[in-house]
Formats: sequence, structure tokens, C-alpha cells
Amino acid sequence: MKSKPAFGLLFFFLLGLLPFAAALVYALLYSLGIVGILSEGVSLAYWHQVLQSGELLGSFLYSALLAGTGVVLSVTLALWISMGLRTSLQHRFWSLLLYFPLAIPGMVASFLSIQLLSKAGFFSRISMKLGWIDRLQEFPDWINDSYGIGIILTFVLIVSPFFVILFSNVYQNERIAELSTLAYSLGAHGKQVFWQVTLPILFSKTKRIMILYFIFLLGSYEIPLVLGQESPQMLSVLIIRELKQFDLKLIPEGYVVAVAYTVVIAIAALLVFRRREVQVHE
Amino acid sequence: MNKLRYIVLSGLGLGILFPFAFLAMLSFSGEWFFPEVLPGYFGLKNWKEVLTSESGMGISFASSLGISLLVATLGTGTGFIWSKSIAYHSQKETWLVLAYFPYMLSPVVLAACLNFFFLKSGLSGTWQGVVLGQYLVAFPYSVIFFQAFWNHRTRQFEQLVLTLGGSSRQAFVQVILPLAKGMILVCFFQTFLISWFEYGLTALVGVGKVQTLTVKVFLYIKEANFYYGAIACCLLVWPPVLLLYLNKRFVYNRLV
Repeated sequence: MKSKPAFGLLFFFLLGLLPFAAALVYALLYSLGIVGILSEGVSLAYWHQVLQSGELLGSFLYSALLAGTGVVLSVTLALWISMGLRTSLQHRFWSLLLYFPLAIPGMVASFLSIQLLSKAGFFSRISMKLGWIDRLQEFPDWINDSYGIGIILTFVLIVSPFFVILFSNVYQNERIAELSTLAYSLGAHGKQVFWQVTLPILFSKTKRIMILYFIFLLGSYEIPLVLGQESPQMLSVLIIRELKQFDLKLIPEGYVVAVAYTVVIAIAALLVFRRREVQVHE
Repeated sequence: MNKLRYIVLSGLGLGILFPFAFLAMLSFSGEWFFPEVLPGYFGLKNWKEVLTSESGMGISFASSLGISLLVATLGTGTGFIWSKSIAYHSQKETWLVLAYFPYMLSPVVLAACLNFFFLKSGLSGTWQGVVLGQYLVAFPYSVIFFQAFWNHRTRQFEQLVLTLGGSSRQAFVQVILPLAKGMILVCFFQTFLISWFEYGLTALVGVGKVQTLTVKVFLYIKEANFYYGAIACCLLVWPPVLLLYLNKRFVYNRLV
């Protein structure tokens, strides 16, 4: 069975690219007042309104801050675990157990965070039992809080296990152990080997995946929906909130945010993946 | 093994198993009032209620399973076949960068912007609409995934069969498919999980009529019905654990 190249490309265009393009064009037209129930012709008023309100920029910065912190903490924790416990984690039992957290989706992670971190949650109950707090109110705000602590912790919960596995495998596949031995034999000491051999190799092989995870977290929906607060909101939550509101006049503003977010993602994809032979599992 | 390492390893093991144990415990619990550390009731009551009442948990599980199997089958099948056209195209890199656009975009935002088309086509609020919406995410992933397979070596195998008198169908069925078997399996698992874990797009396109397990968990969170929520979470988490166990030896070791 031979796949016809032109037909294959057509199929890919129709089901891979056209929906994306249609979504972007429709959102753009809506944001410019060209389509929609209350459209009154081309207008930049909605763009002006959104840019002036500062909510879009605030949401972008808030999302980037939470996503960036989530990735940095996850990578740091994963490095610490995968390098510190490297020999033990190679054991068959651990190589299986480490995969278990990958089975936890964002919605379940959010549910767990509420059960564990909220004021009436499991950790609060233990704190009270141990006498660390006397009243429910004394337990810190980690859910629906203004700093997004619950969101960040949940990001770390779902992202760090992946990086532990990734770093462990890159360490083996890139023969970092042999290179480290060579560095030691040439007179390097422990810290030099870690900072100048291990870390640069791990980062060069995984940096695109880190950026990809940052972008995924930037657009994450269910975790900030369950654990976030009213304002500021992360991008996806803000977009859906704007698009689902009852005031039809304000819906184009939701599409303005959606277009801005989509364009940023498209530019990020161009910057990250151009000029390289794409290997998804680098 | 020194003592500190033993302690850290034990903590890591407990940390990994704790969420699964906690969810299981919560699903069997009742009368767990603040500030009690342990529940007042522990038994099968919640599970019996869920199985016998009209909670719709069974339907949600079946919906999730059916939708995910369909998305995984369609996504992997079409992705495998059509990824070849891109892999051997002179503008391969450009096509692949374009493939990353829908894959990197938040599925719920994609669904929100496409909602008009779902409404117009009558797919909104139907399982077919949810399958199509999730397929739009799974297909580009699958195309990107199989790029690693369509390499120079695969092409040489294919050409060798043709040179020896085999037809292109024989090359595909008797050489390419057996060669790709492992990757097809991995991609199937991955696209299954993409669909199984999906919430935002499903909730938006399904408009509450298609209640997969993730939608159910969110409803229970809103209702503050944490015991049923925990049951839905258990049903969501255990099948992927089984799949990951089966998938483990393929996913990272071979492809990283």
C-alpha cells in the first residue's frame, strides 16, 4: 500500500492545519467585529479596549510567571532526584514506579490538591493534630490564592516525574557516566564534572522539551480553573470566561485574547522548531 | 546504601504511591469531618451507591473509554499513513513546524475558536463532535511522532522490497508495518492518554451532554461531593497505570 504524497499532504492540510487556520481566522474576524451576532463592521475598538484594560498583559505575565516557575521548580527537583539517586533508580522496581505519576491527569491533580492543600484539607488536619495550628484559618492559603501556590505545586506534581524519567534516560543514552569518568581521570573534581559535563549535556538535549512544557503550562486550563482565583487568571481560563459570558457585546474581547495567545504560540513554534530536524522525542 | 539515601528513596516511593492510596482511601470513606485525620466511615458504601444509583459513572467510564479508543485508533492510523508524505517531502521542516501549531495550542482555546463550526455542523453536544475535536489534537501529535520512523533506513527497506519484485502493498504490509509495530503501539497509547486526560475541549464541545470521567470529576468538585469525585479519579487513574506499565519499555528508552 503506497501513500500518495500529494493526497497525504492534502489530508494533513485538511485535518491538521485547516482547523487551526479556521479557528484563527474566525477569532480574528470576530475580534475585528466583522462576524458575530452584534457585528457592526470592521472595528479596532475591541482590541483597543482589551489592550487598554491591561487584563490581557496581566494574564500573559501571570501565566508566564506561573508556567516558568512550574518548569524551573520541576526541572530542579527532577535533576536533584534523577542525578542524586541515579544508581538506585536504575533498579527495575524504580524504573516502573517512576512512571506511575504520569498516569495522573491535570483534573485529578487539581482534585488531589484541593483534598490535600486546602484549609480543610488533609495537611491542615494533620497540622492541627500535631498542634502546629489551632484554628482552620491559621493554615496558609494555598488554594485559590493570589500567588498561585496551589497551581505551581500542582504543575510540579504533574511535570517533574516526566523530567526525572527524561533526565535518567538522557544520562544513559548520552553516556554521561563514561564522559564523567573521563573528566575525573583528567583531574576534574565532582562539582566541575556536574556543572561542565553533566548539566550542559542534559540541558542541550532537553531544552526544547523544557520550552515545550513551558508553552503547555502557559495554556493549561483545568488546573488554574479549579485552583486559580478570579483575577488575574491564566490565559486559557480568561479566554473561556470571556467567550462564555452573558454580555454578547463583550465576547469579541475574548476573541482578541484568543488571537493574541494563538499568535504568540505560533511565533514560539517558529522560533523553537525552525532550522532543526524535528524529532519529537529528542 | 547510606542512611540518607535510604530515607530519600523511601520518601520518594511514598510520595509516588501516596496520591493513589489517598484517592483509593477517599473513595471508600464517609463522614470525614474536619479536623479528623481519618474518616469516620470506611467501607464499600460509595462504590455500591455509584454502581447501583443513577450517578452515570458507568456511562462516563464507557464514554471515556470509547472516545479514547476511537481517537487513538483514528489518530494513530491516519497519522502513521500520512506522516510519510511529510517525512519524505522536500519542505519537510516547514510542514512540521506547521504541525506544531495545533499541537502546542491549548486544546480548549482551539475548541473555543472552532465552536462556531461545531455548532453549525450540529456536532456540538455529541460524542462525534468530541471525537473530532480531540482528533484535531491527536492527529498532529501522531504525525510529529512518526517522523522518527520514516528515516533513510526505512526507505531503503521499502526500496529493497520493490527492487526484489515486491509490490508497494507487500512492502507496506510485510515490511513497514512489522518494522513500525512498536512505535504504532506507543503512539496508540500516547494518543489514548491525550484523549483520556482531556477536559477543557471535551467540556466545551460536549456542552455537558458528553460526560467523560474528567468532566465528571469537575462536576463533583463543584458539588463538593469528594467521595464520588475520588471514585471518578480512581477510574481515571488506574487504566493509564496499566497502560503505562505496558508502554514503559517502549516510550523513552528507545526514543529519547
